[in-house]
Amino acid sequence: MLLSVESAMGESATDRFKNIEIHGFVSQGYMKTTDNNYLGVTKGLGSFGFTEVGLNFTKSFTDELRTGIQLYARQLGSTGSFNTNFRWFYLDYHPSDRFGFRFGRIKIPFGLYNEINDIDAARAAILLPQSIYPAESLDYLLAQNGFEGYGYTGTGPWGSLEYRLYAGTIAFPAVNTPAYPIQQTAGNVPFIVGTRLMWGTPIDGLRVGVSGQAVRLDTTLKLGTTTPVSVSFQFPVNMLIGSAEYIHGDLSLAAEYSRWFAQFGNSTNTAIIPNFSVTNERGYIMGAYRLARWFEPCLYYSMTYPNVDSREGIQNYQHDVSATLRFDINQFWLLKTEAHYMIGTAALQSGLTGPGLNDGVPTASLAPNWWTFLVKTTGYF
Amino acid sequence: MLRYTAVLVFWFALNTASTAWGDEELSKGPGFYVIVNAVRNLDELDRKFLADVFFKRLKHWPEAKPIAPVDQRADSEVRLRFSESVLSRSVLGVRNYWQQLIFSGRDVPPPELSSDDEVLKFVESNPEAIGYVSATSLTEGANAHGVKAVTIR
Repeated sequence: MLLSVESAMGESATDRFKNIEIHGFVSQGYMKTTDNNYLGVTKGLGSFGFTEVGLNFTKSFTDELRTGIQLYARQLGSTGSFNTNFRWFYLDYHPSDRFGFRFGRIKIPFGLYNEINDIDAARAAILLPQSIYPAESLDYLLAQNGFEGYGYTGTGPWGSLEYRLYAGTIAFPAVNTPAYPIQQTAGNVPFIVGTRLMWGTPIDGLRVGVSGQAVRLDTTLKLGTTTPVSVSFQFPVNMLIGSAEYIHGDLSLAAEYSRWFAQFGNSTNTAIIPNFSVTNERGYIMGAYRLARWFEPCLYYSMTYPNVDSREGIQNYQHDVSATLRFDINQFWLLKTEAHYMIGTAALQSGLTGPGLNDGVPTASLAPNWWTFLVKTTGYF
Repeated sequence: MLRYTAVLVFWFALNTASTAWGDEELSKGPGFYVIVNAVRNLDELDRKFLADVFFKRLKHWPEAKPIAPVDQRADSEVRLRFSESVLSRSVLGVRNYWQQLIFSGRDVPPPELSSDDEVLKFVESNPEAIGYVSATSLTEGANAHGVKAVTIR
C-alpha cells in the first residue's frame, strides 16, 4: 500500500526529505555604552543580551510551488527572551516571472533592508541604521501575516522593475511593566498594507525605489493605580521611504530617506489622550567596501527627528555615526566590531507602558553625546 | 581593559581570517564559456539576462520553460571570473546576496557543482540548464560535450 502510494506520488518519502534545503545561524553579541543605556542595560559592564538563533527549511514541490519556514529565537536587552517562534512561513506560487504570490507569515519588503534586519551574515554593519530599521521594533515590523503579490519585468533598455504588494496584519502582544501606572489591556492591528517598487536603472548596479506602508494599531490603556481609567484610541501610521543602492564589485553604497506620519485618533477620553498627529523624519547614508575576501569595513551616518516641527533640544534628535569592521574568518563564521558616536537622545524614549531602560529619566536630562560599542560573532550555513 | 580586549579581538580576527582565505590574484580576461544544452536554439545572450538568471530574478526561458542555472564552487577561479564579469559583484558579494534571500525566505541559490566536468554533464543532460566552464575545458569544442557555448553581448 505504502509503495503504491509512493509510486503514485512519483516521489518517495526519502526523496521528499532529501530535497529540503536547510540553513541556519547562531549569533552572540556584546554591547557597551558610555553613558546611556541603549537596547539593553549596556552601561557599566555592558550586556551580552544580544543573541539570535535561526533555522530555516525550504522545499520546492514543483518549479512554481515552494514552501518554507523559519524557527527563530533571540534576546535583545529585555526583549525576545529566547521565545522560539516561527519567524516566517509561506506557500509561494509563481507561474511566471512577472507574477507570483505567497501567503503565510511573510517578511515585509519595506525599504532596502527590512527583510534582512535579523540576518547578521547578510550585511556589513552589526546594527542597520536605527533611524529606519529599529532593532527594538523587530518583532513588530519584520513580518506580517497575510498575502503578498510580486513580480519582475526582466531587464530592458530602460532597466528593470521589481514590484511587491502586500496586505495582512501583525501580531502586537501587550508588553507591560508590573505596577507601572500605565498598562495596555488590549491591542490589535486590524491591517497593514504596503507596496515596494524597485527600479533597476540602466546604470549597472544602481537601483532606486520607493516603499509605502499603512498600519493601524487599536489599543486600550488603563491609566492610574488607585482609580484606574481606561482609554481606547487608534494609532494609524503611514510610512514612506525613498531608497537608492549601488553595488559594483566590492563596493556597496546605500541611502534612504523616510517620513512616518503618525496619529493618535478616536480617543475615548481626549482630556487624557488628546487626538493629535506627528510626523517624523529619518534617513541615512551608508558605504561598505570589501578590501579583502576576509575584511570589509563599513561606515554610515543616520539621523532621526521624531517630530519635524520640534527639532531643538537633545531629546528631539538622534545623530548616529557608525564604523564597522567585518572579518569573514571562513565561509561559515564571521566576527564584527562596531562603534557608534551618538549625538542626541531621541532613540532613548521610553515606551508608553514602562519607564524605559534609563529608569524614567527624561530624555532631555540624559547625556547628550555618547558612545556605543558592539562586538558580534555569527556562525551560519 | 576594554582597549586591550578590543586590540586582542582585532588581532585574532585579522590573523585567523587572512590564513583561512589566503590571497588570490587573478590574471585579467574572462577565461570562461557560458554553455547551454545543444538543443537550445540560441547563439548569444545578453549579459544582464544572464545576471538575472543567476540571481534567480528570472526563472523562465522566453518560451516559458523553467531555467536551471548551475553554479561552480565559491572558491573556484572560474566562479570568480564569472561573478566579476557577468554579475558585476565579487563572489562574496554574490554570497551576501544569497544570504539575504535564504534567510528572508525568498529563495535559495543555484546548485553548486564542483568541477567543469560536472557542469558539462549537467548541462548536456538537461535541456533547460545553463552553466559556465573554464575556457580550457572546451579545447575539443563544445559539440564534443553535447553543449553549446554562447556569446555574451
